Amino acid sequence: MAKVKIATDWLDVCSGCHMSLLDIDERIVALAKLVEFTSSPVTDLKHPPEDGVTVGILTGAVSNNHQEETAKEMRERCKILISLGDCAVFGGICAMRNLFDTEEVLRRGYVETESTAPGQEIPRSEEIGKLFDRVKAVNEVVKVDVHIPGCPPPADAIWFALTELLAGRIPVLTGDNLTYE
Amino acid sequence: MASVNITIDDKKIVAQTGQTIYEAATAVGIDIPHLCHHPALPPEGACRMCLVEVEKQRVLQPACTFPVTEGMVVHTESPKVVEARKFVLQLLFSERNHFCMYCQMSGDCELQDLAYRYNLDHWIYNRPYPDFPVDSSREYFVMDHNRCILCRRCIRACADLVGNYTLGLKNRGAATMITADNDVPFGDSTCISCGTCLSVCPTGALMDRKSAYLGREVEVEHIKSTCTACSVGCGLDLITKDNHVLRIEADWDAKPNRGLLCEKGRFEPLWDSRKRAILPMIKRNGKWRKADWEEALDLMALKLGETKGAVAGLASGQATNESLALLAKMLREGLDSRHLAMLSGSLAEPSEDCDLTELDLVDFFVVVGADLTENHQVVGFTVKRKTTKRTARLALISEGENGLAAYAMREWGPDEVDKAIEMAVSAENPAVIYGMEASKETLRQLHEALDGKAPFVGLTPAANARGAAAAGFNGSLNGSAKGLYILACEEKEIPSDVLARAKAADFVAVQASYLEPWADIADVILPSPVSFEKQGTIINNEGRTLKITAAVKTSLKSEGEVLENLIQRLGL
Repeated sequence: MAKVKIATDWLDVCSGCHMSLLDIDERIVALAKLVEFTSSPVTDLKHPPEDGVTVGILTGAVSNNHQEETAKEMRERCKILISLGDCAVFGGICAMRNLFDTEEVLRRGYVETESTAPGQEIPRSEEIGKLFDRVKAVNEVVKVDVHIPGCPPPADAIWFALTELLAGRIPVLTGDNLTYE
Repeated sequence: MASVNITIDDKKIVAQTGQTIYEAATAVGIDIPHLCHHPALPPEGACRMCLVEVEKQRVLQPACTFPVTEGMVVHTESPKVVEARKFVLQLLFSERNHFCMYCQMSGDCELQDLAYRYNLDHWIYNRPYPDFPVDSSREYFVMDHNRCILCRRCIRACADLVGNYTLGLKNRGAATMITADNDVPFGDSTCISCGTCLSVCPTGALMDRKSAYLGREVEVEHIKSTCTACSVGCGLDLITKDNHVLRIEADWDAKPNRGLLCEKGRFEPLWDSRKRAILPMIKRNGKWRKADWEEALDLMALKLGETKGAVAGLASGQATNESLALLAKMLREGLDSRHLAMLSGSLAEPSEDCDLTELDLVDFFVVVGADLTENHQVVGFTVKRKTTKRTARLALISEGENGLAAYAMREWGPDEVDKAIEMAVSAENPAVIYGMEASKETLRQLHEALDGKAPFVGLTPAANARGAAAAGFNGSLNGSAKGLYILACEEKEIPSDVLARAKAADFVAVQASYLEPWADIADVILPSPVSFEKQGTIINNEGRTLKITAAVKTSLKSEGEVLENLIQRLGL
């Protein structure tokens, strides 16, 4: 049987969810026998293959236009999209800034932080992603098939979800596998 | 009450008329999820989490408010019910800031528990992120409106348990908010900081400042003890972790407070900012220096021995029966002292044995010479609760300002006690509650008219006043005392008569938890554990013996150990 192709990417994120994926430890060897990891933020291939993958995994919230494009590209190129982690599923820590005005947040981050030297300005280059006024969860931007919340999700929950998918079932998280913290 | 036969989840149950479905189900161990409901509060039916399917009813019904009837068939976890609950959870989570990962209640939150129970793995609605403020104007705890689910438990706790009616709602629909009085910051409101709302909040909307983020339910220990802030003797549930008391909560099962506490019991002990006495201190030529225990105890034995026969002993009402017995032994047998008194004074006459929970049945309170909004607040809560619900009336006999005045039908001076008596005798279940300012004469008049009809509940400020009296600390202070031994515990003030006597004495020894306010008058201060560090018993004003349990370990010598050391040195 051909290996199942998986692509992953991160959006507005601390990268902890990808760490949790690695936390499945030696089970990753068993997983590698069954699946092929294609693109990911830490491999040379940054975009999911154009001919598509079976499973796409997104971590992080959608905070700017670049991330929205990334999410849409992943959605187009995968059959099953997994939202991994609280930020992807709910908006999470990133959505804290929704309680404030975006300009206020930028000013705080780039100008007013105690460690910032005086005279700094908010970067406005066209090349950087433009912050949305409101951080969104992935399912507010594209359709999501499987949600694995957690900050980060337990490695066991990720392992459970992937093995369920490999067995042809849509995973339903319960017990310790379901956590928001 | 008549029995009714009902069926809940295929289980045949005999319930009582007047019970709700929730009560009938809970009685046989069927768990119906709920958020706005709380066993100590009247049902509200606000959150819709307890919806159940009742056969022959057109729509789902809230179990917490729906009364049982003969032949009723209820399904508590049918697919229709589960779907409705998930829907309710989706709405609750989508509305405000219910991100668990940075909430201090995560792990102990009733909303989160239900989301886990119903496998809520994502939210289906877009979030409005409404702009709600965080109100941190109160000293001990913070209200984050963004985490509020409008269950109204806090409002009911404030009104129906405490009788304070500070909290209410403002605005409508999604903009609804908990508010205080006529929409003022909580810190500027009529809030009395009893913390009852904090203790019933199901989410992280109300957050205790001291214990926030310091430990979750699974990481902490609960230790039952007794409050020593006054003589009501409220049951405490001390929350500890790593040998620290994180938070003081009320014991919901304890008489007489049944889950209630006041500011003095719930917050003040942990917020005391006075400097603790850690090592024995000796004053020489007006200067304090640290000393070791041997030196301090030797000096005390020597100095007190020199004043033998002219020593007076003063005890705080926070001292345990066990310490008081040792102190009495030391004073009487070791120092020939006949002057044993209480630091905080005593009532004109001791309270009779009573059961404070029976005040719930009273329909006419005569409160004499006591401000129950200052001291003994938990008894005051009963008076406030009952007078505002109009199940009791209050006649207040006092001089000067009294916090209960607004709750009283009439306020009379001590010379008009006959008018209160006239009304009390015609009541069915009157009760007399008296404090330090009640004179012997006033009490005599009340006894004459109401003995046998009304219980006489005397409230002393000192927690263990009855234990102290039993140990012999019921005399008055002798003006000619040359030596003074004060077992001060955590007392905050020196009564003026004690101050004068102490200044006149040759030698003043103090056993205290805090250096303040004793440093001015003492010659030696011996450190002493605070209430949650010590073990023993007290007798509250009901006459019940209650246990004080050490919730944390301390390296300080206990009150008793110090006294035993002194007794030994005095050659007993």
